[in-house]
Amino acid sequence: MKRLAEPAAFQALLLVNALVMLVPLAVMLLSAFKSNAEIFTSPFALPARLDFGNVARVWAETDFARQLANSALVTASAVALLLVFGTMAAYALARYRFRGRAALFLFFLSGLMVPLKLAVIPLFVQLDTLHLIDTRLGLVLIYVAMGLPSTVFILTGFLRALPGELEESARIEGASEALIMWSIMLPLARPAMVIAAIQNAVPIWNDFFFPLVLITTDRLKTLPQGLTVFMGEYNTDWGVLFAGLTLSALPITLCYILLSRQFIAGMTQGAVK
Amino acid sequence: MSFGHRRGWWIGFLLAPALVTMAVFVAWPMLGALRYAFYDFHGLKIGGFVGLQNFVDVLGEPPYRGWTYTALWHNTIVFVSLMVLQNGVAYLLAFALLQGLPGHRVHRVIVFLPVVLSAVIVGFLWKLFLNPLFGLVNQALLLVGVHGPPWLGSEYTALGSLILVNTWHWLGFSTLVFLAGMQSVPAEILEAARLDGATNATLLRRIIWPLVAPSTTILFTLTFIGSFNWFELPYVMAGLNGSPGGATDVLGLYFYRTAFGSVSSGLQDFGHGSALAVLMFAFVGSCAAVALHVLRRREVAL
Amino acid sequence: MFMASFHRLARKAALAACFSVVAGTGVAQAGDITFWTWRQEDRAAYTELFRDFTRANPGINVKFEAFPAETYNTILSTALAGGRGADVVQARAYGGLEQVAKAGYLVPLDIKTVPELGNLPVEALAAESLRADRQVYAMPYASQTLGVFINKAVFSAAGVSVPETWEQFLAACKALKDKGYIPIANGTATAWMDEVFTGIFTNPFLGPEFVADIQAGRATFEDKRYTTALSRLLELRDYFPPGYTGIDYATGQQLFVTGRAAMFAGGSFEISNFRKQNPKLDMGFIAPPAPTAGAARYVAKFFDGGYAVNAKSPNQADAIKLVRFTGTKEYGDRFAALLGNISPIKGVVLADPLLAEVAKLNEVSMPYIMAVYFRFDSPTGSELLSNGVQKMLGGSATPEQVGAEVTQGIARNYPPFQKK
Repeated sequence: MKRLAEPAAFQALLLVNALVMLVPLAVMLLSAFKSNAEIFTSPFALPARLDFGNVARVWAETDFARQLANSALVTASAVALLLVFGTMAAYALARYRFRGRAALFLFFLSGLMVPLKLAVIPLFVQLDTLHLIDTRLGLVLIYVAMGLPSTVFILTGFLRALPGELEESARIEGASEALIMWSIMLPLARPAMVIAAIQNAVPIWNDFFFPLVLITTDRLKTLPQGLTVFMGEYNTDWGVLFAGLTLSALPITLCYILLSRQFIAGMTQGAVK
Repeated sequence: MSFGHRRGWWIGFLLAPALVTMAVFVAWPMLGALRYAFYDFHGLKIGGFVGLQNFVDVLGEPPYRGWTYTALWHNTIVFVSLMVLQNGVAYLLAFALLQGLPGHRVHRVIVFLPVVLSAVIVGFLWKLFLNPLFGLVNQALLLVGVHGPPWLGSEYTALGSLILVNTWHWLGFSTLVFLAGMQSVPAEILEAARLDGATNATLLRRIIWPLVAPSTTILFTLTFIGSFNWFELPYVMAGLNGSPGGATDVLGLYFYRTAFGSVSSGLQDFGHGSALAVLMFAFVGSCAAVALHVLRRREVAL
Repeated sequence: MFMASFHRLARKAALAACFSVVAGTGVAQAGDITFWTWRQEDRAAYTELFRDFTRANPGINVKFEAFPAETYNTILSTALAGGRGADVVQARAYGGLEQVAKAGYLVPLDIKTVPELGNLPVEALAAESLRADRQVYAMPYASQTLGVFINKAVFSAAGVSVPETWEQFLAACKALKDKGYIPIANGTATAWMDEVFTGIFTNPFLGPEFVADIQAGRATFEDKRYTTALSRLLELRDYFPPGYTGIDYATGQQLFVTGRAAMFAGGSFEISNFRKQNPKLDMGFIAPPAPTAGAARYVAKFFDGGYAVNAKSPNQADAIKLVRFTGTKEYGDRFAALLGNISPIKGVVLADPLLAEVAKLNEVSMPYIMAVYFRFDSPTGSELLSNGVQKMLGGSATPEQVGAEVTQGIARNYPPFQKK
């Protein structure tokens, strides 16, 4: 009896969770078709009519396609660099013992605890010296630096937990360190890499602070930066903003759904070995 | 000797790109900014060296003193609640997802969907839900005859509401980290335990809990640091002063408002703001270092 | 390869051919200046205003860049500290101006280089000057008046006449509430609106003499006059929307523009915004109620901000031309018409009847106390007051506690309060 009751309880838990997660998202979608007055006074009703006016305004008042491309380029480059740099560093910290390891680990971790916005003026001056103001590369490098602490932390945690036997036997067979890392250890860390990638991609994709500070040339602007035109001082066009934010959430949602397959592949692979 | 030498280069090669990026774009500018903590500011103009005066102010002088301790207390509440709520529910959800029940793939996508949204949109959505006049929460309560409070407007419910919204936003992340840990538990161990007659409850408490220790370490540390640097969601939902009347004031808001000022009614004060940042850094950093040390010993011991 | 370079060549030719397109790409060309503002909502109006400027100054195009108001100060100060930023920037007034100007980021303006400063009243220029040497740094563009918006249609539907005294005001609120309307749309969840709310309703109880006493150090905010005025606000709590502590600024606006609420305590800066959201709204703007019949009904008034020239601008001559242009009566007329704000330039015509009403109310005005006098040091009086009043209206602080908290916070940097 118990055996039967428990799957039902788990299924119920999952269903309740799905409801709690999805209802607000449905409201978000609905709001993209509403006016400000409708959003505030009847937020949960269906829109009076299916009005694509908000979407049209997003299209007309931002350079949507170009800004989407810029965001994609910046986010993809930053996440790719993050994974490469982060995995390398995490691997060194997790799989080797050397002097200063703990201190280095804490150095990386400390990056999570400092409010980089406070350093915006010195950072701006620094980027100016490197001729990186008003460039997408400058943005990418900031995001990489900001994302490295959590990437290194998550990956170190998972890489440390991998069993040492595989590594040792390969080493005895004379495999190089690079080969061991690349073909034995890293495939096992794929779920952790997906977690680190998505955890960083989301804030990078949504950030409008650093683009606003750094990018002034129109053709280099990112999507969240472009959407700030709807955030007024006394009046924000919530319907239009919702339309824009919903549209901008789509690509990253698709990315996650695709990556989530990778997540399973990586894990079952790990379980088999 | 030669292996040791080559090994040194190899480790250096692995670490260098990350270290250089961090040093150039985080550490160096940050040192520049933390230096401000020892100076007096007149608007944006840097004034004289004042030693530890800014620290003395934020720790001991009114009105700063009261704000500092209130915020620190609120952050502590946030941390403890998120550990229990966000990570506790995530642990159960991850185990439920592990069962391979029908639809578990869809559920794994659903639980993570909120994570991809920005704090701006999450905050605004939940403000609509919690609105005392039009919000779904109070309208639903009214159906059962309860007049709900103005959730974000009452000093008794505001912080709790923010914590729940944060849980909604980030539950998927915690779930995924636990799931990754649980998936790496060898299937044979679980099978053997089940054959011995272990119930799911025993599995969760006795078998899986120790084996997912690395996931717990990650979540504990990230939740700790995240809770004490909590900023975006309270900023969107409660504003820079931690409405109502400071009931949701946390260190992140307090630091930001001090350093950068509010929209038009506040001023930038990098001196006191940086002093706060230094103190937060020292506090969070030392706690995190100790916690990490203990948690890793636990990982090994378990 | 060949195609790519051909395209590049073709594009260059096209660019050279039509100069106006270049401005659109955002690359600053000779003869182009940039303008930074936090007023996203004003994009369309400024596009027209700057078109007028280009017509008067051929060859100088102005590129308009707006930032979200919440991050504008940070973005501006970062760019200025880094030696960059726009040629002309929108600057705030009083303390907000002072913190930027004091650091030497703005070009001082004087009557010789900018003769149009003479078109402005002294008090407007004072708002854009350093207190220490009275040096002007920006061309003021608007004054704002705080008062009470009324929905005339709601008042007449409810058969309630527009109140003039505090007694009448409370009676009108009660009558509106009995008819099923929300009398006052404001909630307390957005902190800065609590300062606005306080500024509106306390001024007639305080009077100009109180302000003089505060400045001279003869009184603090613990003064009985101030705490009594604050306690008056508590009488309005019954007429706020249900759950008002959870009603934010945006919700309050919606309650008013959709006609569910009869009044909204706010500023003249809302006019164009309300009109845009509901063009059919029949609004009036009245002064706050008088303590007793026949007493003065002071509206709270302050200057909003100004246009300043970046000290590091490579196009200073052109930037000054733009600032001079914004000091002309022609600009003021157009500004008022397009943006629904009161330009402080002398002799400006306010064609809009509602704006004209507001200008009339300005004849009996007092300063918006915290904004005008206590935004020079951190923590500002505005922050302290809005936080305190939010607590008071939520029921967790008394007027005396708020007065003491505000006084204590301000006293740190305000010598007249330290003697006490």
